Amino acid sequence: MARRWYGADWWFVTISAVMVLGFIIVAMFPGLFAPHSPDDLVGPRFLAPGAHPDLPALILPSDSPDNELIDLAVPSDQPRPIVAVVQGVPTSGALNEQAQVIDNQIKNEPGGLRLRPRIERYATLEEALQAVVNGKATAAVVQSLEFEAISAQFPTLREGASITGERSTAGGFFLGTNDIGQDVLSRLLWGTRIALIIGFSSSLVALFLGVPLGLFAGFVGGSLDRSLSLVMDSLYAFPGLILAIAITAVLGPSMLNIIVAIAVLYIPTYYRIVRGQTLSVKEEVYVEAAKSIGARNLEILQKYIFPNVIPSVAIIFSVNVADAILTGAGLSFLGLGLPPTIADWGIDLARGQRFIQTAWWMITFPGLAIMLVVLAFSMMGEGLTEIFNPKLRER
Amino acid sequence: MTPITLIALLIGVPAFLLLTYVFIHGSAGLRHYILTRVGLTLPMVFILATLVFFVMRVLPGDPVSSALGPKGTPEMLARIRTQLGLNDPLIVQYSRFLGDMVTLHFGNSLMGGHRPIVDEMSERFPATLELVIPASIFALVIGIWGGTLAASRRKRATDYALRIYSVIIYSLPIFWLGLMLQLLFGVQLNILPISGRIDPVIGTTIKHITNLYAVDALITGNWPAFGSVAQHLVLPTITLGLILSGVFVRMTRINVIETLQADYIAAARARGIREHVLVFGHALKNAMIPVITLIGLQVAILLAGAVLTETVFSWPGMGSYLVERISSRDYTAVQSVITVFALLVALISLAVDVVYSLVDPRVRY
Repeated sequence: MARRWYGADWWFVTISAVMVLGFIIVAMFPGLFAPHSPDDLVGPRFLAPGAHPDLPALILPSDSPDNELIDLAVPSDQPRPIVAVVQGVPTSGALNEQAQVIDNQIKNEPGGLRLRPRIERYATLEEALQAVVNGKATAAVVQSLEFEAISAQFPTLREGASITGERSTAGGFFLGTNDIGQDVLSRLLWGTRIALIIGFSSSLVALFLGVPLGLFAGFVGGSLDRSLSLVMDSLYAFPGLILAIAITAVLGPSMLNIIVAIAVLYIPTYYRIVRGQTLSVKEEVYVEAAKSIGARNLEILQKYIFPNVIPSVAIIFSVNVADAILTGAGLSFLGLGLPPTIADWGIDLARGQRFIQTAWWMITFPGLAIMLVVLAFSMMGEGLTEIFNPKLRER
Repeated sequence: MTPITLIALLIGVPAFLLLTYVFIHGSAGLRHYILTRVGLTLPMVFILATLVFFVMRVLPGDPVSSALGPKGTPEMLARIRTQLGLNDPLIVQYSRFLGDMVTLHFGNSLMGGHRPIVDEMSERFPATLELVIPASIFALVIGIWGGTLAASRRKRATDYALRIYSVIIYSLPIFWLGLMLQLLFGVQLNILPISGRIDPVIGTTIKHITNLYAVDALITGNWPAFGSVAQHLVLPTITLGLILSGVFVRMTRINVIETLQADYIAAARARGIREHVLVFGHALKNAMIPVITLIGLQVAILLAGAVLTETVFSWPGMGSYLVERISSRDYTAVQSVITVFALLVALISLAVDVVYSLVDPRVRY
């Protein structure tokens, strides 16, 4: 039966290849896609996806060098800055309190800076903002959402930081912010890099150790093969995650250690498949023929046996990357894999679990990302199996 | 009698009786197979134990100094090292470790109370059992039903849907599935508890007989406790069960497809037996043996899954014990738990193979 290019398996491979490619691009250039740096505290805490932070924010002229309340502090011999607020809103109280706190902190420092703003009250929001435009006031303090609603009327003004010390940004965050005000989306995109590095490098290490061992054991046979197989089978039967837990627990958290720990788990996977195939290919007539015309062992391995095992190795590699990413995420979820500051999906999930009651977005998106990456790689493996393995197809 | 000897007896005595029966009544081929299989298990356990030992000792990083933390003085360090025999030559330590393992004597915890690790594990082990057994049953029901359905509708929409189901389930991080279920049923709908084995207040009324709370509550007729245990079991069971079911669907499907191609199925079909009866009666029955075997060999997934599930749901079982002790750097406990896991994996796969060889006479070396 001819292989149909339009069959479901080809769809599997095509869709998953596109997904894999996309993930690789994101992993290579996360900075291009991520709106913020993964480690920066860029917003208020626990901001829901798409929500705008509504905080009492400092509104400044666009050309002003200031950004935060503390920037308004001046030496005590200069005139106090004038801050415009709207009458009858609690903002002025908060402003007074906050200024007092900052003033107490800075008044004993050298330089003689003081922060004692003079608060002027205006009847409406527009009037308060107009005061800043006219230069009557240094800045205004209004709720950021109210400002954003009418900011088109005041092109010469911009929104600075919030006065309570929490950061405020105009745009909001597509996937929300976490417990310390980092952007979830940016951490997600940067996490792709970590996941793929772990997946690829541990699978490659396992491949480079497992394939030669399997070829060797299958080709040479004898007691060496038997004892090596016993070791590999024992390793294979053992729950991988638990072994990786043991190894990383001893080695301590670092990227290299997690890669080593996961690579060890997957050596037997390659070994078993390659050994099995080597055993069966070894008995083929063409190998027999090559032997009889005097081909050396290395040549037989290289020319006749190795090409036969490549397709299976490719399939295992694809599935293996998926597996390694899952295991790596599991390890860092348990707090074992990586240093806790790294933008990693497993770490973010573990962190989000503590805030499950308040911030659903913190645990939803990193897990979704793990699932999609793993899905892409395992779907590719699945599709490749059916294409490379016609026996399974025609059954 | 400690609970762990009780468990050992519960598993050991039937196994011994079974083996004796086989040796008296079995054929020479069967005897040979079982002897070889047992013979292979011993080196496997030995290799794993050795691996655990060397991972814990030889790799860089000193467990004692990290357990003590910055407070540890050099004198304290030296005293504890001598106490644990860490200053002895490696070969002495190794043989002592193997001896301890055979007698199931794991020493005392490095932590707070310095309790014997065997005692701590025998409190934790029943909790893991209570989670793993219902999860496996749940997974078996979904797996066998789904796999057979997919096989009978091969290359049709149902089949593709079920195959995608198993691929997606395979790609789900188990801890994330747990978190999502917690979010949906525990937080949004607020109908199920999201952590622990039992309500702490009701928990004080339970009599600890087997430490399997559901069983304890049943035999003492403590219905409120049973209800609470059941409620706490729902989410962890679904989490672990769903993850396992993906593999089960896949294996059942392949085996039923293979069986459906046998001649006797074609013969039965020619006699006009309805397709439904053919699939669920004839084919499934014959595919069951390899399916059950393959499923029995998924202990590894089950145990790894249990570690993560227990952590997510604060389930006080062996897995969360392992994770707790790793973060507190109690390396004797870590080593013991991993050794117990190795023993479990080896023994269960031995048991599955032996039972398989009894049921299917074709399996011989």
